[in-house]
Amino acid sequence: MPTPFEELKTRALKRWGEFTSDEKAWIRIGGGTSGQASGADLVFDSFKSTVDSSGANANVSMVGAMGLMYMEPQVDILMPDGVRVFYGNVEPSEAQEIVTQHVNEGKPLLDRAFAYSGGDGTTTGSLPSLDSLPTISFQERIATRNFGETDPHDLLQYIARGGYEALNRALTEMTPEEIVDEVKASGLRGRGGAAFPAGVKWGFLAPSTAPIKYVLCNCEEGDPGAFNDKGIIENDPHTLIEGLIINGYATRSTHGYVFIRTGHNLPIEAARKAIQDAYDVGLLGKNILGSDFSFEMEVSLTGDSYVAGEETALMEAIEGKRATPRFKPPFPAAAGLWQKPTNINNVKTLAYVPEIVRNGSGWFKDIGTETTSGTAIVCLSGHITYPGMYEIPMGMTIRDVLEKIGGGVSEGERIKVLQAGGPLNGLLGEDAFDTMIDFDAMSEAGASIGSGGIIVGNETTNVVDLLRNLIAFNQFESCGKCFPCRLGNTHMLEILDRMCQNKAKSSDLALIERVGVSMKAGSLCGHGQLGFNPIASALKYFGDEIEACLAGDLPTPGVFGDGTMILPTRTRP
Amino acid sequence: MSDGTTFKIDGREVVAKPGQTILQAAMDQEIYIPYLCYFPKMKPQGSCRACMVEVDSNGRKMTVASCTTPPMPDAEVITNSEEIQDLRKNIIELLMAEHPHGCLTCHRIELCGPQDICQRHVTVTDRCTICPKNERCELKDTVRMVELDLRTPLNYHRRDLPIHADDPFYDRDYNLCIVCSRCVRVCDEVRFDTALTLTSRSGVALVGTSQGTSLLESGCEFCGACIDVCPTGALTERTYKWEKAVSEVTTICTNCPVGCQMVAEVNKFGKVVRFKGDLAGAANNGQACMTGKFGYEYTNHNSRLRRPYVREGGILRKATWEEALNRISLGLGGRSPDEMAVLTAPRGSNEDQFVAAKFAETVLRTPNIDSGLNINDALLSQLEKRIGAGAATNSIWDLEKSRSLMVVAGNPTEEQNVLAVPAKKAIREGAKLVVIDSRETEFTRYAAEWLRPKPGSEPLLVAGISRAILDESLEDKQYVDSRLNNVTELKQSLWSFDLKKVARHTGIEESQIRRAARIFAESDAGAILVGNDGLDDTAATQVVDAVVDLAAITGNIGGDASGVFPLFNGANTLGARDMGARPAENGLGVTKIISGMKDNNIKAALIMADGLSGHSAVLEGLTSGLEQLEFLAVSAVFDSEITAHADVVLPAATYAEQTSTVTNLERRVQLLRITAESREEVRTGWETICLIAEAMGGSGFDYSSSSEIFSEISSTFTNYANLSHTQLQSGGIQWPTADGDNLGTPTLFASSDELITVIPLDYDEFANSVSDNQLIFAPGRVLNQPERDVEVRKPEEMNYINREQFVQIHPADGDAAGVAEGDAVYVKHVDGHTLAHGKVVFESPQPGLIGVTTLFGELATRMHDLEIPDWSPHMPNLGYSNVILELVTDEQKSETAAD
Repeated sequence: MPTPFEELKTRALKRWGEFTSDEKAWIRIGGGTSGQASGADLVFDSFKSTVDSSGANANVSMVGAMGLMYMEPQVDILMPDGVRVFYGNVEPSEAQEIVTQHVNEGKPLLDRAFAYSGGDGTTTGSLPSLDSLPTISFQERIATRNFGETDPHDLLQYIARGGYEALNRALTEMTPEEIVDEVKASGLRGRGGAAFPAGVKWGFLAPSTAPIKYVLCNCEEGDPGAFNDKGIIENDPHTLIEGLIINGYATRSTHGYVFIRTGHNLPIEAARKAIQDAYDVGLLGKNILGSDFSFEMEVSLTGDSYVAGEETALMEAIEGKRATPRFKPPFPAAAGLWQKPTNINNVKTLAYVPEIVRNGSGWFKDIGTETTSGTAIVCLSGHITYPGMYEIPMGMTIRDVLEKIGGGVSEGERIKVLQAGGPLNGLLGEDAFDTMIDFDAMSEAGASIGSGGIIVGNETTNVVDLLRNLIAFNQFESCGKCFPCRLGNTHMLEILDRMCQNKAKSSDLALIERVGVSMKAGSLCGHGQLGFNPIASALKYFGDEIEACLAGDLPTPGVFGDGTMILPTRTRP
Repeated sequence: MSDGTTFKIDGREVVAKPGQTILQAAMDQEIYIPYLCYFPKMKPQGSCRACMVEVDSNGRKMTVASCTTPPMPDAEVITNSEEIQDLRKNIIELLMAEHPHGCLTCHRIELCGPQDICQRHVTVTDRCTICPKNERCELKDTVRMVELDLRTPLNYHRRDLPIHADDPFYDRDYNLCIVCSRCVRVCDEVRFDTALTLTSRSGVALVGTSQGTSLLESGCEFCGACIDVCPTGALTERTYKWEKAVSEVTTICTNCPVGCQMVAEVNKFGKVVRFKGDLAGAANNGQACMTGKFGYEYTNHNSRLRRPYVREGGILRKATWEEALNRISLGLGGRSPDEMAVLTAPRGSNEDQFVAAKFAETVLRTPNIDSGLNINDALLSQLEKRIGAGAATNSIWDLEKSRSLMVVAGNPTEEQNVLAVPAKKAIREGAKLVVIDSRETEFTRYAAEWLRPKPGSEPLLVAGISRAILDESLEDKQYVDSRLNNVTELKQSLWSFDLKKVARHTGIEESQIRRAARIFAESDAGAILVGNDGLDDTAATQVVDAVVDLAAITGNIGGDASGVFPLFNGANTLGARDMGARPAENGLGVTKIISGMKDNNIKAALIMADGLSGHSAVLEGLTSGLEQLEFLAVSAVFDSEITAHADVVLPAATYAEQTSTVTNLERRVQLLRITAESREEVRTGWETICLIAEAMGGSGFDYSSSSEIFSEISSTFTNYANLSHTQLQSGGIQWPTADGDNLGTPTLFASSDELITVIPLDYDEFANSVSDNQLIFAPGRVLNQPERDVEVRKPEEMNYINREQFVQIHPADGDAAGVAEGDAVYVKHVDGHTLAHGKVVFESPQPGLIGVTTLFGELATRMHDLEIPDWSPHMPNLGYSNVILELVTDEQKSETAAD
């Protein structure tokens, strides 16, 4: 008799065959928030109605975004002969032509396409293969392996591509302790910013014999310039769900929460659908896949709060309270959500887990650097030629990422400043561009991989204005609980305002440093402790510019505005 | 582990008790670490960061908040290194940039008055000298302790927020708030009201009510706990707002039998200017209530009686004590003992009560003496008969550990407020509550089961619960076997309480009775709070029997966090009873004395009126009785409807002008202390009675001090043996006290050798107590009704709740009275005066039961506006009445609309 998983796999392969048969073409439109923002919805509708009305022999699916945001809306067509051709920046009006010529007549529009895959290249002329594009070739896609390949709302497509094999293996062949050991051995470090070894963290929770234990997944992701957590959930939710179930099994937990910030609509929708689908086929609930392991999961939403992403504030938020951080100890593994033992991981951390369990810890350990195994999912935005979401092996230098993948800035210009890892982390100047992307190397450079966002600024960027913008964000998002953060951010912002208006005194530099140092030493949680980082690192890399600003040499503020100041509105009651 | 953690603070070896944080351990050793958000007896918060210290534990150095961090064994804590001092200064400097502090750098701050001209150009609104808390500001003290230099380069902004001065009793000025959240936390985690909350976040985070409403709508019980914890001038009592205190005196609140220990702040004129709960108070743990916190100031009032008066030609004229005493000895002398009566003051001390009892017995020789608010006599007497004390078996704060609670025919949140605080805590922490009451009260809102029976059927219901417990074998069998006498008889008698019959008589479904029984019997420790609201003497006796039997079979007498707590009135009613100020054999109690006056059986009386209200519904007919008297002598603090009928009025001292003892409902004997200078010619109760007694030729009244009287009390009554004023200086003691210890007896029947006698219950008698065929009005009151809209109006700048009431009626009564849902009706007392009016809703569960639920905010504004200096005796309780329903006519409607 086939096991429950074997039955599922059979169904999944049958479904996959419906799309990839040698009889029908498969038109895939990259969706996700970035795709939809550039019009993927309209493109999808257009292709769908064209295929329906013309009776073309093709399936049309909205799949996850591949991450090549400069190409969006992106459409690709897999023909029955196995050759797949990719079109970028597709307009809805082009659907008719593409369907008629490519699907019906078998002639891809080579001058519109940007890459192909499959086949021997004979039918695609001089088109480069997808794998040869620098935006793909430098990637090592683990957590993002299904991006652009599968429909995120189709559980069976995920299973067809090897999904839930890891869970099945965990439940049938491994003890919880073995999984914790495996994750420890893989060297997987938390991707939420603190880079704490995930397996060690799981090991804190696992021994507790409490009848109710929680594993939480954090997708607050409020950092400007970061979209990889949301990306994973909206483009391939099951890789997270599977990771969280394995996390639950490994720590013998009973409940899981996927915590998503209100307003991340596509991820919320995708996570809810994925959880429901998993319940429907017995991947969640009582006796998962016929094993003894039972596990419940649900989505919980924050209010509109950045600090809700702090692990203990997140627990307060799930409990329905103000999202303000708790003091530690007690630590979550002892008393977390509803005072029960709790483990919390970032989306990215959990998204690696299925592949680690499927392929073994050694495989993962071999990727990346000595101290940071695996990959980094980098979100490139700002003044960069090829913005997008790229999964690169740890150890690439920042310069390689910017120039080889990102294509640098426009010709004749120079990258001046990077804002890496979210607004609580540092600015980087050119001196730091040869730093490896690796937790330790980055932290030495005064920055952090953090959330993985890299915002690029060219020479027109005014560092003081950029700083003011970051501190305004931090100030606005302070939860207001501890005094140094609530008040310190306000004062730092006021000083930066003065600087931007050429009203600052030379003594203000010492003042802002004094405030920043008190915040760092005195604040309750990371939001305040790290709040001075942008300024500290700016002083390191752009000290001259800041001093020049204080001396009255003020370039027009304006990367983030048109030169008019937006004054803070929430500094004082 | 249980020995605590040994570590070092600034080189000094310190042992922290288990569970203590570094800050708490330091405070125990009197090592100063500044703090602003921490407050004793509340959970740490960790938000002000003023208490940061360095910790070196096994070579690991950390900078941590000492209020939230437990000490690590052998750690070195440094509280005063340069770095730490700088950090603290920087943080407090940030804080001062949003708090007015103009005077903090000025050496004249102690000398400068609010109206003085300032030559330093400090804006008036930024001056400390105009802050109500100028002399007692924790922020100012902290700034000075950390030696902060306030010539800060940081921008100072005044918030310019409006001051909330439109709610009763206290002002909120959030310009002075530092967002330490103490007030929010005390309201939530100590009082369980959550009337206050933090609003918004980041730089604009502040404190307020959750929807920005008035306090009247927010669920505030005006207990003032938030004021007591506020470190700045943001929250202040309105009366004496700017008054400076020169001394603090620990004393006892005399408004109800909880007997909260209070700290009275006294100004240089000897006036009591503030009253706050004493954290060291065993009965209240730092808490107080609306009447305690705000109802103290009558002692300072200008309209106090300052000299004796005698009636001449129909009017009271000033007189000397001698003259007044002569008139009294003439008025009371030469009468038959049976036609005289003495009512002692509800607030009267044990010494007063003892002397009064001695006076009635040896001088007047009358058996008619009672405490003026001994209206719960049947309840307390029966309890005394059953467990040997008309008082609680356990301590009040035992309740916080109870796992289940039952409240029967009482409204503790209003009448014994601070008793409800630990009960609410237990409920918040998971204890299940059963309420047996026909009225909607604050406790019914927290009840797991609210049994809302026909009025008068409460005893039957309690007995029914006992029956259900036996049915399901839920009794504590081991306890029943080893501790109880007479169980077989009780069990047999309970077989006649057939639950179907009980259900029919009480109007409560059998299934609900069973659920209540399970809740109470299945928990480890259950306490019962029992009152006699709406019960006549017979029913009050029955409810005590039923409650004691229930507590006994569930093993809840003699253990921790369990027991029986009587809910009664009068601050020192228990003390009065203990002192023998109660009717002797064949004597009349207070209610019979009043009816005796009306029937002309009582012709002359001495009334000690402190704490008595002539209008109080619980003493119905008192004033009309007084009219009939031939002679009335009154010792009173104020002119009142009682002195209006007096032939002689003597000026009485208040709680603030005497050293004497009172006994609270948990049997705690506590010491009142002199807080204010006594005014000329004003006498305490015992002094007054001694003078009268001597004027009438009595002997044995030549006491020189109250402590001398107390020695006599101590040698007269065994419960008061081994106690003295000196001993009580360091805190109250629960009687009885064994020789030589100061421990007293927190729990009665604590020894497993003591047997408890249960008694059989008589079904027919219980069922007879239930009255049928009457409309009974059971008014309710709650703190908050979030499900109903509330409109607040603001005539003359103050907030008033304005909303239409819903009159809950049973459909059957509606049909009988010819009213339909939505009709406007009057609820009128059978004697004709209107008790309530509003819109009919068919929501009453019982035929005959009419309910109207008002908001506590309405009561608070009413009390606040009352033009009676001593308003707390005038707090209306939720009394039952026999009523009729009357439709509001169209004419009356248009009249109301014209208003």
